[in-house]
Amino acid sequence: MQDLIALALFALLLAVPFPAEAQKPQPIQYSHKVHVTDNKIDCQFCHSSARRSKYAGIPSVEKCMICHRVIAVGKPEVKKVAKYWSDRKAIPWNRVTELPDHVYFPHYRMVNAGVPCLECHPGMDKAGVAVQNREFTMGFCMACHRKRGVSIDCWTCHY
Amino acid sequence: MLDRRDFLKLSGATAFAVLFGGCESVPKKIIPFVIPPEDSTLGEALWFATTCRQCPAGCGIVVRVSEGRAKKIEGNPLHPVNRGKLCARGQAGLQTLYHPERLSRPLVLSGPRGSGKYREISWEEALSTLLDGLKRVRAEDPESLLLLTDPMRGHGNLVAARFLRGFGSPHRVAWDPYGQDALLAACQAVFGVRDLPEYDIANARYLLSFSGDFLETWVSPVHYGRAYGDMRHGRVTVRGKFVHFGPRLSLTAANADAYLRIPPGTEGIVSLGLAHVMVREKLTPAAAEATTLWKDGLRGMTPESVAGRTGLSVADIEGVAREFAANQPGLAIAGGGTAGCTNGTFNLTGVALLNALAGNAGRPGGVSFPNRTAGFTRQGTEADLLLPPPESGYAAVRKAAEKMKRGKFRMALYAGAANPAFTLPSTVGFREAFLSIPRVVSFASFLDETTSLSDLVLPVPTYLEEWGDDIAPAGHAGNTVSLGQPVVNPVYDTRSLADILIAAGKELGGPVAAGLPWENLKDCLEKEYGKMGVNLQEAYKNGGIFPREAGRSRPIRNPGSVPFPNPGEARFEGEPDRYPFFLHVYPSTLFYDGRGANLPWLQELPDPLSTAVWHNWVELHPDTAKTLGLSDGDGVTVVSPFGSIQTFVSLHPEIAPDVVAIPLGQGHTRYGKYARERGGNPFTLLPETEEGTTRAPAWQSTRVALSKAAVPGRLVRTASTEGQWKIEHIL
Repeated sequence: MQDLIALALFALLLAVPFPAEAQKPQPIQYSHKVHVTDNKIDCQFCHSSARRSKYAGIPSVEKCMICHRVIAVGKPEVKKVAKYWSDRKAIPWNRVTELPDHVYFPHYRMVNAGVPCLECHPGMDKAGVAVQNREFTMGFCMACHRKRGVSIDCWTCHY
Repeated sequence: MLDRRDFLKLSGATAFAVLFGGCESVPKKIIPFVIPPEDSTLGEALWFATTCRQCPAGCGIVVRVSEGRAKKIEGNPLHPVNRGKLCARGQAGLQTLYHPERLSRPLVLSGPRGSGKYREISWEEALSTLLDGLKRVRAEDPESLLLLTDPMRGHGNLVAARFLRGFGSPHRVAWDPYGQDALLAACQAVFGVRDLPEYDIANARYLLSFSGDFLETWVSPVHYGRAYGDMRHGRVTVRGKFVHFGPRLSLTAANADAYLRIPPGTEGIVSLGLAHVMVREKLTPAAAEATTLWKDGLRGMTPESVAGRTGLSVADIEGVAREFAANQPGLAIAGGGTAGCTNGTFNLTGVALLNALAGNAGRPGGVSFPNRTAGFTRQGTEADLLLPPPESGYAAVRKAAEKMKRGKFRMALYAGAANPAFTLPSTVGFREAFLSIPRVVSFASFLDETTSLSDLVLPVPTYLEEWGDDIAPAGHAGNTVSLGQPVVNPVYDTRSLADILIAAGKELGGPVAAGLPWENLKDCLEKEYGKMGVNLQEAYKNGGIFPREAGRSRPIRNPGSVPFPNPGEARFEGEPDRYPFFLHVYPSTLFYDGRGANLPWLQELPDPLSTAVWHNWVELHPDTAKTLGLSDGDGVTVVSPFGSIQTFVSLHPEIAPDVVAIPLGQGHTRYGKYARERGGNPFTLLPETEEGTTRAPAWQSTRVALSKAAVPGRLVRTASTEGQWKIEHIL
């Protein structure tokens, strides 16, 4: 019997997810700094559904090509984008920012209330590929909700 | 051995492991669009209206599309046929779109014909092969081209008909195993109109059904189901009564207040017995005037003689007749279970007679005959092509099979869901006949039994990816047109039959090109509806053109002049000694004629009565099973004079003891891994017999024998109701 329990616990060990792994490399070495800080492009130019949808969204390949048909066409990373475009293939980005399933986070609420993007995504304007510098703990959300005097009802975010 | 304590410890530890080991993080990739769809917002769904094609009822649907993917199908609330409701077959339509076995490229034969072995080729190659074949046939013998489809409607049918006419071939065959020939003939005989009647079930106070499965598959089940709900509880003070006659307790019969069991094929005699009582007792004004009918023979249909032939009691016959007459409007419906007997037209005529005697024609709660193509008078004689009468085309398809065997056809084009190699009785020999045609081109989304007999297969869009229009055969008061539009970008590079015919017409030139002066079907719809002054853009948003005012009904004959139908006996193949049981077949609630059998959602959906999944069965009365030494779930061989199948026994407490019933639709030998090997195909048990008057298939006309057999696997059911029978006093 002991063996059986040991076996079950061993199975458990194997099945427990490993701690957050190191960030996977992105298919394209995109630079937020070049776009946002150097060239002063608004976040919502690319993440255009942030003000309309619960998701901020990743720009379509078509949107990248609006500019990169003519701008910086010689750069190796831009060439990769052009290749995806000519193959009509989507860019398989690796996910960086995550919230657990039990949280409802509508981007458009924050954006339309005037919360700056950098409040939750600090340092993104200076970063290369996307980074997550902030832990999205409930305390962080609550502090801001209290400061702004908006709802802290459980069901506002959890349902 | 484990003792109880150890068992609990172990299960606790296992549960813990399962609970936490199963946690997986969210998908790690984010795949944005290459080109985002217009008007779409990430995370917000769009609903597109279009028309369901999962059965011929023609319901309106709305499809929820998010991020360019169709996610859910519901009924279109604006559509008069289904008013926002939808059946399981309609809901499962999503799986046709994203089916793993869907054909994505043109296929050309790479083995012997009929082997089902194909290799992919390009569209250019496929279309040039098709065109070369058409050109050669037209040059040598245009009449040797066959176009075999299921019954098509709307401008898609107009295109097909004009193509063939321009080409110079008269051989257009449309096959529907559940055609309504007998109903059309009965309406012609009684009301003088050869069309499907509009049954106003919602406003009836009394409903009689004679083997009518109007809640399952018959004509327009969602429409009737909704109306039936209204009849039962849509009015404040009236709850309509529903009485069902038939040899088997179907899902529809199970909803009735009273189910009266009668032998197969006696529905017409029972209805004449009811008519006799109505006329004898002058229960309605129309019955009081029906003296000719009485003299011509109704006088002889006494309740006593009917009781003697059907096993009903005289009190039941008289009681139902009086109730029916007293609770007007009363409505009588007869369905496929009786239309498929050799005396089907007589049965349906007898039932239509009850409607005439009730005097309900043209009244709320009765039958009416709206002119459903009234809006297309501009089309002249071609208006009929938009809504052809819903016939089976049985005589035509058998004649075509004969001609195939005699080598009359050099080329055949095959399209649609009717699947004649599966749905025709085996004695027709359709498979061999079809294989003998030198060149067969199929237009299909899946390799079913018939498609896989062709040498070139062209992939077509599903109904969720194409433009089109449709006129429902029933469920609306006329002038209603359903429209179809692509709800998503086509998943594969596919072309519809109509688009290919129009393009081929241009290449062929001459009268073919002249008859099809459009770019494609979409262009055809825009031009033709444009000429009628329809704002097509608005209509597409609504899912069709739904006028508020009813069209004018067709004039119907005065019930007083209805001729007396000659009572016909149902005939059955097979000697009673060798084949002791009547075989009753019925369309599967889930697969219709078998077209839905490749959709896992439908396979895993329990049949409403037997609760069986993933296999078919034969329904037996428990007493019959006992005499045969069979019990529930046993493997069994069902033998008719024409074929035999193996399946499982499912006991059914309310089937006549000398009747066994099998649902049609399972038993595929091709059509993909979800459809294959799920019991035998009951169509192979059926005789080639025609219904006496109309030449429709007489499916309910053979006897069978049963014997125990070792059948691999078992019948899986989600619930057993057997234990309830004694408690509910069913047995």
